[in-house]
Amino acid sequence: MVKQILIIPSIFFLIIVSIFFYLLIIDRNPSEIPSNLINKTIPFFETESLFKNKKFISSEEFGNEIVLVNFFATWCKPCRDEHGYIKKFQSKEKLRIIGINYKDDPEKANAWLKDLGNPYSDVPLDKNGRIAIDWGVYGIPETFVISSDGIIKYRHVGPITKKIYKKINLLIATLKLKK
Amino acid sequence: MIPSLGNFTLWLSLFFAVFQFFSSRKNKNIKYISLAVIFLFFSSLISFFLLIYSHVISDFSVINVVQNSHTTKPLLYKIAGVWGNHEGSMLLWMLVLTLVNYFIFKLLNKKNSSFILKTLEIQAFIIIGFLLFTIFTSNPFLRVFPAQLEGLGFNPILQDPALAIHPPLLYIGYVGFSAAFSMSVATLILNNKKNIFWYNYMKPFVIGAWTFLTIGIALGSVWAYYELGWGGWWFWDPVENASFMPWLIGTALLHSLIIVEKRKSLQAWVLLLAILAFLLSVIGTFLVRSGILTSVHTFALDPSRGIYILIFTALLGGYSLILFGVKSRKFFDNNYFSSFSKEGSILINNIFMTVVCATVFLGTIYPLLVEAFTNNKISVGEPYYNSTVIPIMIPAIIVMGIGPILSWGKEDKLKILKKIIPSVLITLIMTIAIFLFYKSYSILGFAGIILSFWIISNNVLNIIRKNKAYSMSMFIAHLGVGLLILGITGSSVWQDEKIVKMKVKNEIKIKNYNIIFDQIVEIKGINYIAVRGNFLVRDDEKKIITKLKPENRFYPITNIFTSEASIHSNLFRDLYIVLGEGNMTNGWVVRIYYNPLVIWIWIGSLLIFLGGIVSLNTNLKKLLKW
Amino acid sequence: MINKIFVTLVSFLFFFNLLNISYAVEPNEIMKNKDHEIRARNISKNVRCMICQNQSIDESNAPLAKDLRILIRNKIKKGKSDDEIYVFLTKRYGDFILLKPPLKFNTLALWFLPFIFLIVGLLILFFYNKKYKKV
Repeated sequence: MVKQILIIPSIFFLIIVSIFFYLLIIDRNPSEIPSNLINKTIPFFETESLFKNKKFISSEEFGNEIVLVNFFATWCKPCRDEHGYIKKFQSKEKLRIIGINYKDDPEKANAWLKDLGNPYSDVPLDKNGRIAIDWGVYGIPETFVISSDGIIKYRHVGPITKKIYKKINLLIATLKLKK
Repeated sequence: MIPSLGNFTLWLSLFFAVFQFFSSRKNKNIKYISLAVIFLFFSSLISFFLLIYSHVISDFSVINVVQNSHTTKPLLYKIAGVWGNHEGSMLLWMLVLTLVNYFIFKLLNKKNSSFILKTLEIQAFIIIGFLLFTIFTSNPFLRVFPAQLEGLGFNPILQDPALAIHPPLLYIGYVGFSAAFSMSVATLILNNKKNIFWYNYMKPFVIGAWTFLTIGIALGSVWAYYELGWGGWWFWDPVENASFMPWLIGTALLHSLIIVEKRKSLQAWVLLLAILAFLLSVIGTFLVRSGILTSVHTFALDPSRGIYILIFTALLGGYSLILFGVKSRKFFDNNYFSSFSKEGSILINNIFMTVVCATVFLGTIYPLLVEAFTNNKISVGEPYYNSTVIPIMIPAIIVMGIGPILSWGKEDKLKILKKIIPSVLITLIMTIAIFLFYKSYSILGFAGIILSFWIISNNVLNIIRKNKAYSMSMFIAHLGVGLLILGITGSSVWQDEKIVKMKVKNEIKIKNYNIIFDQIVEIKGINYIAVRGNFLVRDDEKKIITKLKPENRFYPITNIFTSEASIHSNLFRDLYIVLGEGNMTNGWVVRIYYNPLVIWIWIGSLLIFLGGIVSLNTNLKKLLKW
Repeated sequence: MINKIFVTLVSFLFFFNLLNISYAVEPNEIMKNKDHEIRARNISKNVRCMICQNQSIDESNAPLAKDLRILIRNKIKKGKSDDEIYVFLTKRYGDFILLKPPLKFNTLALWFLPFIFLIVGLLILFFYNKKYKKV
């Protein structure tokens, strides 16, 4: 009996080491938090729009086709860095993208989009950041993939990179097949 | 040239380590081994100095210097910056490791040669493992061509004396336990056929490591308190936990070594503790440097380095623990003792220290476990540790008060009761006195004060009784613990805070002090400009106690803002002011903290350190007499 | 006069950049009702700052931390209970945002193991003492 007990520390140790090993080899970002809204319906929101005169009401804008939602601001440098990919999503993949302007000045946003190009079909304004909180946003830019029935399927925190661009496209292709 | 020489010395160290490994294992020629040990140490020393040199002359052809230094850094911090980064810190780690190696070698004599040689063989294996890691994944001598014009290492928050010396002290702690590890493994391998008093050899290393680990941890907390601006000094951050766990096991180990010395009991248990102390240091190294989790303290690394360290940890831990599982049976004894004795109280302490360590370990890795088995991420923060660690520590501290007054061998329970009556009385009196003074009641405060005076009064009464069984080092260290608990209780339970907007000439009252915002001035420092608020502090008799001058600094060359708190300390409380945003028209945000008894945290830690030094001295003398 | 201009200039600079170093709860966030404020502080101390990740929102100076502090205070004013506020936050940010891990199936081990460790330790002590008595 005693002999069995004595070997326990080593077994314990090796189990823990294996778990660490597993965590090291998989593709993970230790500081990224998974969204709690995956596979849930998008949070409802209603707010002003940057370009159009009428209000942006989320229940009208989602639920028809696959949509990307991109939280951005003019004061955010990584948003500027990734803007090329956002434009590519629209021009190359022909995706509808909603750009939620986070805690920003609408005039500045207008100028920014004029300057860098506007890939967004609409730009609802989140002036006080409450919409972002409802979406569980913690670090802009953040990009969400919404399925055609208005379910959040994926969220990326941080600027879109080549790797993520490919990943999102793959995901969208899969979603289209499921239909 | 210098950096290439530095790289060469790393390979040279590797050569000598391998040489030491084989000569202690096979050849056993003392002359060869002594050459290996000495040259290994000097080779590490030279590597270390060559990196310091590169930093001091700002050689921006060396990647490590580019990433971590800057021409405007004061000399002291150019040097401290060498071990403030991952690659450089590995050189410091190696230096201490090879120094400990040398001290192990110094113990060698005819009688213990098989034991010491086996220890040196294992120590050499550890050195080889870390050297390979350094050379192949964390080489500080890598170059960049063309050489850069300026470096990136200018964060002024890190330019602080406490922070400069904090890593070297910690490393003496972590690495010091390697000697205990190697000796334990050597004892298990050899079955102690020659009946070597391995515990006598192990003890000075354990005390040395533990003592420096204590002061290293304390300095980290001191820095956090003074620098980070909200009066906190411990955050249960994974890296802090990584230093606390070896400390807990080290505490258990150094106490149970006393039992092994005195009555040869618990040998198997102590052998396990010696393995665990160093293993936890290495696991801590892994958690901090592998990129497996993020923390304010982690070095930014890639997982490939992590995999290397993990494999090395797995080999070291797997081998030693399996060896323990198979061989430790031979070290069991029948020297049982009563729980109501000095040995019994030490065993109780060991159990509590181990349980707390297991709990801290659980809390630290639990988020990783959840992530591995589910798709979720949870976080384990301060509230968890407060709910679990504190309740477990309380009985441990109660026993700590009684333990030193017990005799070896069974003690009559009635006698124990008689012995503790005076201290119980003093504890109650002091507790009531404190509560009358602070006029604020809380259960945790109650518990903390009682525990602290329980330790202090038992300790002091012990000295007065001239109890033959006590030792000076124990008195100092345990007194330190009592004061530490006092400081922790005061600062956690009775803190007061005022956050206000003040215009110049406004006044505010906190506790019985009046704080007047006298004026705002501009300051020019060596490499910064600052806005400083001058505050006058008056007591209720309108006497000026002190002037507090918090600053907000801007370092133009590097575009960094920092805030420097202004603190006035005395034995009863700290007054702590931080200047926030503001302007002349609307006033300034001012945060004032009244932190009771904080200074006792530092005084207590210092006493624990001094107690350790005294003990180290005593034990070294004992060893030399031998 | 030059002093005043300098101080204004530097404080202006700080206003935009002190986001790095301004310390958490600001005077204009503090609620008038003392009990409400204590509740707000206690809840904030249990909410992790998602950006700095090793601080609570009570200590953090990040913009999101400030937004959440204000949001919590508004909810307290509206009469929401502590639990309702925690549910609101975890629905959006997951359990990660709580510094005190909630007691759920996946944290049973976390919360119960320490006391199991303690019991095991005390059992060892008990059996050791028993063995002593035998001898």
